[in-house]
Amino acid sequence: MWSTGPNIADGDVIIVWLTRDLIQPLTVEAGKDFNSRFGNYKHDDFIGTPYGSKVGARSGRGFIHLLRPTPELWTMALPHRTQILYHADISFITSWLNIKKGSKVIEAGTGSGSFSHSVIRSIGSTGHLWSYEFHEARETKAREEFARHGFSDIVTLTHRNVCKDGFTVADTVDALFLDIPAPWDAIEHAKLALRKDCITRICCFSPCIEQVLRTVTALNEHGFTDITMYETLQRPHDVARIPAPKSIAATTEKLKIAEVKREERRLQQIADNENRRQPKPKSPNKRKRADEEDDEGQEDGGKKAKTHKAEDTAELMLNGGEQTNEGSVSVSRVIPEVRGHTSYLTFATLMPIPPVRGPPAAEATPAETPDGGNAQTASGS
Amino acid sequence: MDPQPEASTSTGVIKSGDNVLVRSPNGDIRAVKADKDTNISVGRQGSFHANEIIGHPFGFTYEIFSKKELKIIPPKTLNEVEDTDATNELINDGQFVQPLTITEITALKQAGVHADEIIKQQIAAHANYELKTEYSKEKYRKRKEAKYSKSFTTIEPTLFSVCEYWFNKDKNRIRDIRNDTLAQMLNSANIRPGGRYLAVDDASGLVVAGMLSRMGGEGRVITICDTDSPPAYPVMGIMNLSKDEQKIMSSLNWATAEEDYVPVVPPSELSPEEIRSDRHKSRLRKRKHINDALTETREELFSGRFDALIVATDYDPYEVLTTLKPYLSGSANIVVQSPYVSILADLVNKLRGPGFLAPRLIENWHRRYQVLPGRTHPTMNTSGTGGAYMHVMKVYVSFHISKCRAPTACRYDDPDAQAAESRRVHSRKKVKVGEPAQTSVAPETKVVVQVEDPSQTTGAAPEESASTAMDIIVSTDPEVSNTLASASTGIELEEEAEVAQVAMAVDETS
Repeated sequence: MWSTGPNIADGDVIIVWLTRDLIQPLTVEAGKDFNSRFGNYKHDDFIGTPYGSKVGARSGRGFIHLLRPTPELWTMALPHRTQILYHADISFITSWLNIKKGSKVIEAGTGSGSFSHSVIRSIGSTGHLWSYEFHEARETKAREEFARHGFSDIVTLTHRNVCKDGFTVADTVDALFLDIPAPWDAIEHAKLALRKDCITRICCFSPCIEQVLRTVTALNEHGFTDITMYETLQRPHDVARIPAPKSIAATTEKLKIAEVKREERRLQQIADNENRRQPKPKSPNKRKRADEEDDEGQEDGGKKAKTHKAEDTAELMLNGGEQTNEGSVSVSRVIPEVRGHTSYLTFATLMPIPPVRGPPAAEATPAETPDGGNAQTASGS
Repeated sequence: MDPQPEASTSTGVIKSGDNVLVRSPNGDIRAVKADKDTNISVGRQGSFHANEIIGHPFGFTYEIFSKKELKIIPPKTLNEVEDTDATNELINDGQFVQPLTITEITALKQAGVHADEIIKQQIAAHANYELKTEYSKEKYRKRKEAKYSKSFTTIEPTLFSVCEYWFNKDKNRIRDIRNDTLAQMLNSANIRPGGRYLAVDDASGLVVAGMLSRMGGEGRVITICDTDSPPAYPVMGIMNLSKDEQKIMSSLNWATAEEDYVPVVPPSELSPEEIRSDRHKSRLRKRKHINDALTETREELFSGRFDALIVATDYDPYEVLTTLKPYLSGSANIVVQSPYVSILADLVNKLRGPGFLAPRLIENWHRRYQVLPGRTHPTMNTSGTGGAYMHVMKVYVSFHISKCRAPTACRYDDPDAQAAESRRVHSRKKVKVGEPAQTSVAPETKVVVQVEDPSQTTGAAPEESASTAMDIIVSTDPEVSNTLASASTGIELEEEAEVAQVAMAVDETS
C-alpha cells in the first residue's frame, strides 16, 4: 500500500499538486529532478519532508504541494488510458455494492484503474479484487501500476475477455462491477462468480440507455432481482465573497436631492436665457443669432441637464455604494459548466440459495430459484 | 481457478439479536429486532416468530401463513407487458366499477382467503378491468397485492439500506445526508481499514456508523460530542456492528478535548482504610478503568497525526476545524457536511488562507429510475437535496525555498506539526490521573536566513541564482513571520514582503 509514514521517503509514490487542474503522480527517487512550469525541484529535497508540505522552487519562484496519495487524488492525477470513473460514481457504487473491509470484489474492465484504486483502499488487506482487462497493453500498464503502489497481494489482474471466457473464480465474490461495452454478455458468467450463501450485488456501468435496457433484460433472465438504476452527479459550487447587497434607502435620498437640484438648474437656465435676451436689442443680426442661440441653448441646456444627471447618478452610486457597503457576504453558485452525464448505474441483487431446513413447504418452490431463472417468472402474476 | 482467500467478515445471515429491516409489499420499511423466541410484528401483514428467520440469509421474501409458519416465496422478476390497443378512452373517473364492498372483502380476509384469491375476485367483479391497458392492469394488480398480501422481505442493515431507511424516515435527524453524499464523504476522507480518524457526528451517528462499518475493526476513530456522557448514536444501533468493530471508537466531548482542561472525575484510588467493602472496591476498579480510558483517549487525541476529520454538526464549522486541525497530519483530508450550502460557502471563504489546500464545495444531484420493460423513466418524485459537503486538505503553513544540500531544521516549520511533535515526546511519559493536562510547549522556531543577494529571492530565473546557497522560510503565519522579521537582518522588510507576495500570487493561481 501507499506510505502511511509522516515524511516522504525515497521510493514513495506522492501526488504533486501544482494547481487545481494540474495534479501529477510522482515516484520519488533520490538524485532525480522534477521540472515543471512552477519551478525546478530535486527529489532529494522532497525526501524527509512531511506529507502536506509546500515546497518552494530552487529558483525561488513558484512552489508545489507534496501530498499523500489517496484514490481520490489518484483519480484526478492518473494517466488516462480510457474514459475513467469519477468520484461521485465510484463512491455511490462502493456504497450500493456494500464494499468494505474484507469484501471480495470483481471488476471488469480494469481500464485506467480509477475504480480499482478506490476499491483496493476500501477492502484493505483482508479483501481481494479480481480485475479483468481485455486490452493487453492496458493490462500490462495496470499491472505495473499495481505493483508500484504495493497492491499486488490484494489484486489479481487477468488479461481476458470476460464476455467470452468468463471469470476465474466461482461462488466467491460479494460484489461485481461491470464497466464493459456489452455487460449483458457477461451476466451469466457473473452469476457463476458470485457467492450463493448470502445476498450478493452487481453493478453495470453504461453510458447509453439502450445498453441499460439490454442489461436489465439479461439480469432479469438470469434471476437477478431488485433491479434498479441511478444517475448521480455533482454540482460543484463556485464560492466568493461579495459586498453585501446595498440598501435602496440611501439611493432614494440621493435621487430626491438630485431631482431638486435638476429642477433648480432648469429654473436657473430659464432665468439665464431670460437675462441674455433682455439686454441685447441693438443689432438685428446679433439678435437673430441670439434667437438661434436661444433655441440651441435650450437644447444644449437639455443635454447639459442630462449630462449632469448622469454624473449625479454616477456619483450617487459611488457614494451610495460606500455608505451601505458594510461588510460582505459569502455566496455560492453552481459553476457554469458541469458534467451532465457520466453513465447510468444499473444495480441488481442475487438472492442466496434458500436454506434446506424448516417446514417442507418452504423448500419446495425456492429450491429451483437460484439456478433456473425462468422458474421465477411464474411468480410474477 | 485462483486460490480462494478466507471468507468475508460479513456473513449475511440473521443471528439472534440482530436488527433486521423489514419491507412490506407497499414499500414501507421498518426496523425490527430478531431476538430468539420472540414474536416480531410487521404491521398490517401480521406477526411471526423470530426463530423462523434466524439462521436464514438476509434478503428472502416470506409469506405469513400463521405465527409459526412462514413460507419463502421466490423473488419477483420483471414481466414484459404486451402492448395492446387498449386506451383509457372509455374509462371515466367516478364511475361505479367495483360491486365488491369493503365489508365483503374484510369478510374474505377474515375467512383466511389468500390474497391472490381476493384480488382475483375483485378483478372478476371490476366493471372496466378489461378496458384497461396491460400496463394499467399490472399497476392495478400490484396495488391490490401491496394491500392484501401478507408478505414481507428481510433487508440486511448495510450502510446503504440504513441510510436510505433513515433518510426516508426522518432526514432532519441525519442532517439530510443522502446515500450519495454519505458515500462521497467517506471516500473523500479516505476511510479505509487501519486509518486513524476524528469525527464530529451530530447526524445521529450515521457518519460514525459509516466509518466503523467500512473499517471493520481495524484502525481508530475518536469522536468529539457535546454531551457529558458517551454520545448516543442511534443510527449505529441498527447496523449490527460487532463488538470488535465498535471498540475502535472512543468519544470525548468539547471540554475533555481541550488540552488545558483538567477533567473533573471522581477519585478512583483511595487508601486501604477508606475502602468500605468489596463492592466499593470493585466500583473503584471500574471507575479507575473509565478514568484511565479517558486519559488515554485524550493523550491519543493530543498526540495528533490523524488521517482525516469528518464534521457533520450545527456548531460553527470553522471553530471545529481550527480546534481539531492541530491533531491532523499533513495532507489530511477534512470533510464538512451541512444541509445548508451557505454555511459551507462561508466556511470555504474562511479557509482560503494558508494551512488549507483547495477547498471544494459540492452539492449532489441524484435520481433513481424505474426500469420496467417498456416503462423506463426517472421516478416521479425524487429527493431535492441530499446535503452538501466541503472537502479540503491540511497542508503546512510555510514553505521552504530549497537551496540546501540536505533537509534542514526548517522542515518542521508548521506550529501545528511542532505542537504534535512536542506532544509526542511528552506522551511517552506516564501521566497520572488527575494531573493537569500538559499544555503543548511552544517550540523554538529556528529560522535560518542566509541571503547574499536579496533580489534573487524574488523573481530571478533559476540559472541566475544557481550559485547562491540560501535557506529561506516565508510564512504567512503571523508568529512565524515575526520571528523571521527579527532574524532576517540581511533582507529589508519590503523585500521580504515581496517574497511573501510572490508566494501569495502563486498560491492564488493554484
